[in-house]
Amino acid sequence: MRSPRSAFRWLVNKEWRELVASRSWWVLLVAMGPLVGVSFISAVRTYGEASGLNGTSAGVGEAFSPLIGIWAPTFSACELAAAFLLPFVAIRLVSGDRQSGALKLELQHPMPAFARVGAKALVLAAGWFIAFAAPLAAILLWKSYGGSVYPPELATVAMGHVLNAGLTIALAAAMASLTEHPSTAAILTLGVTVGTWIINFIAAVNGGVWERAAGYTPTAMVAEFQHGLVRLDVTLVALTLIAAGLTFAAIWMRLGMTVRRRAYESIAVGALAAAAIFACAFVTASWDTSESRSNSFSEPEEDALRQIRLPLRIEAHLAPEDPRRFDLEHRAIVKLRRVMPKVQVDYVSATSIGLFEQTSAHYGEIWYDLGGKKVMSRSTTADGVLETIYSLAGISPPIEKDDVFRGHPLAVPPKGAATVFYGIWPAAIVAGLFFARRRRV
Amino acid sequence: MLSRFDVLRVTTFTKRYGNLTALSDVSFSIRQGEVLGLIGPNGSGKTTLFECLGGVLPADGGALLRGDRPLTSGERVASVFYLPDSIVPWPTEPVRWAIDFTIGFFGGRSEIRGEVVQRLGLEPLLDSPIWTLSKGQRKRALLAIGLLMPQPVLMADEPFEGLDLRQTREVALALRAFAGAGRTMVLSIHQISDAARVCDRFVLLSGGRACGEGTLEELSALAAPRGAASSNLEDIFLALT
Repeated sequence: MRSPRSAFRWLVNKEWRELVASRSWWVLLVAMGPLVGVSFISAVRTYGEASGLNGTSAGVGEAFSPLIGIWAPTFSACELAAAFLLPFVAIRLVSGDRQSGALKLELQHPMPAFARVGAKALVLAAGWFIAFAAPLAAILLWKSYGGSVYPPELATVAMGHVLNAGLTIALAAAMASLTEHPSTAAILTLGVTVGTWIINFIAAVNGGVWERAAGYTPTAMVAEFQHGLVRLDVTLVALTLIAAGLTFAAIWMRLGMTVRRRAYESIAVGALAAAAIFACAFVTASWDTSESRSNSFSEPEEDALRQIRLPLRIEAHLAPEDPRRFDLEHRAIVKLRRVMPKVQVDYVSATSIGLFEQTSAHYGEIWYDLGGKKVMSRSTTADGVLETIYSLAGISPPIEKDDVFRGHPLAVPPKGAATVFYGIWPAAIVAGLFFARRRRV
Repeated sequence: MLSRFDVLRVTTFTKRYGNLTALSDVSFSIRQGEVLGLIGPNGSGKTTLFECLGGVLPADGGALLRGDRPLTSGERVASVFYLPDSIVPWPTEPVRWAIDFTIGFFGGRSEIRGEVVQRLGLEPLLDSPIWTLSKGQRKRALLAIGLLMPQPVLMADEPFEGLDLRQTREVALALRAFAGAGRTMVLSIHQISDAARVCDRFVLLSGGRACGEGTLEELSALAAPRGAASSNLEDIFLALT
């Protein structure tokens, strides 16, 4: 037998050739251009108009951040492709060997099953990175318009979509390995994706534990990265799920093992992954990479909050679907948790919508308890929350510095973008396909 | 005791699918450099046995022994290669690539590459993608993959399936030639006439049970008391199964 390294190189080469031969990957590539193009063109147009293009009042977009105005919508095309196109590419690559019978030959090589799955995952990741050329073209176009690019926030958005693609690949590989037929694997993969959407929906209605669980779904994870927030717990959970999915795929690829043994091993992997995810949930480190610090209070405010040593408990009488609760959570509590990781926030409500609780005397109250000292407020804005905490802690509000984010308005039309994404991109992919087919034979 | 030529012993292989017993205590020996024919009608358990021996299907019982010691999984992988029937591996790749992959990935026998290609008449097919090959051409390409594998024992499932008479004879000659060079072949064959043409010894399989093992003469002697009409392999098979 060949050295494991040489054999692995052969396997990676084989998987790459399989990927290049698969129509699903070329469809993904062709679709990426127009998908990114539609989002980018629409985002640039809106951004331009808000910045004063075509006679709209200039100045509206002065606080505009390219992260929210351009990159989040442009990269959202990747989320769409990861949910609806990438699973088929992954399933084709994993199931193909089983369908053709090649797996029965390859399994007779002593290579560990995880290395086999690893080769497939590596090639799929490479395939995804090639598809990433479409958003890369958008970045180059934006630069050519004179747009501002802040690399840390852009890298964070890209990282979120790479992790999301990793989750999709791991899930699809696991399903393709588990099932006999690719169509069953596709149904199960999409079923899990829809399942995560249902969790998000239930979380929005019920809050509580569901809300916590929904924070780790791919949609929520991507949303945070798109806002320039890197949460270590979310990243670790995603990596754990990717590792678990690939291990699961490796377990079920070993056709020579009894189903019972594979089932026991899967249960063990599931239990380990669950324990790891539970442990990750206690990790609180996070980084705000957005240029506008959209996930953080200002630096003087953070310094002031760090001076508070007493335990802070907040009890908000707001229902899960009440927009005030959304405001409180996303404009204040998220930022507060980053500075005061031990802050305890409890939401209290008798219903999910809160509509019929409005008459209740305590509905809408937000109680702050700092080391036994209590105060009530109804404000759900970041300023209101901070003011209450400062008064409770006996701290005078800090003086704001002048270096606030002013935004990067850019009043330009998306010139040439349609040609790039609807013309050059598909033509280049078709040329690539033609070239790849000619080289093969 | 094993004779000095016995290389491997298949002992009490059993495989069940729910209530159906596909293999029941199948035992036989495989001798170095021989062409052993696993003979049986469709559904007799030949493929199941090969898949269990090749490690791509879990068996419910049984072991592959060298001497009196069961082979470990690693030793089995290094000793035996199973070549399935009716597969189209790497369908979009040309035959040339499949051969290169066999040598590169599996550490195949590059020194016999030319001979294998020539004996199996694959020269004109080297640049054809595997999915475009006819059934017979594909079978020859698969046999090339099997013959190039580094393991000393090749178990080929229905090696003559899809081949015409001329091709069957050519392939049988090629297999005999490689066996003559020291390679051990275990061939599962449902066409008894094909088996008689190429095999040194036979294992008769029926209903998941091994009903006899030996050379034509040994089986003939076994079958005579059971009323075999002649020493023809077909008559022997009918008498013993």
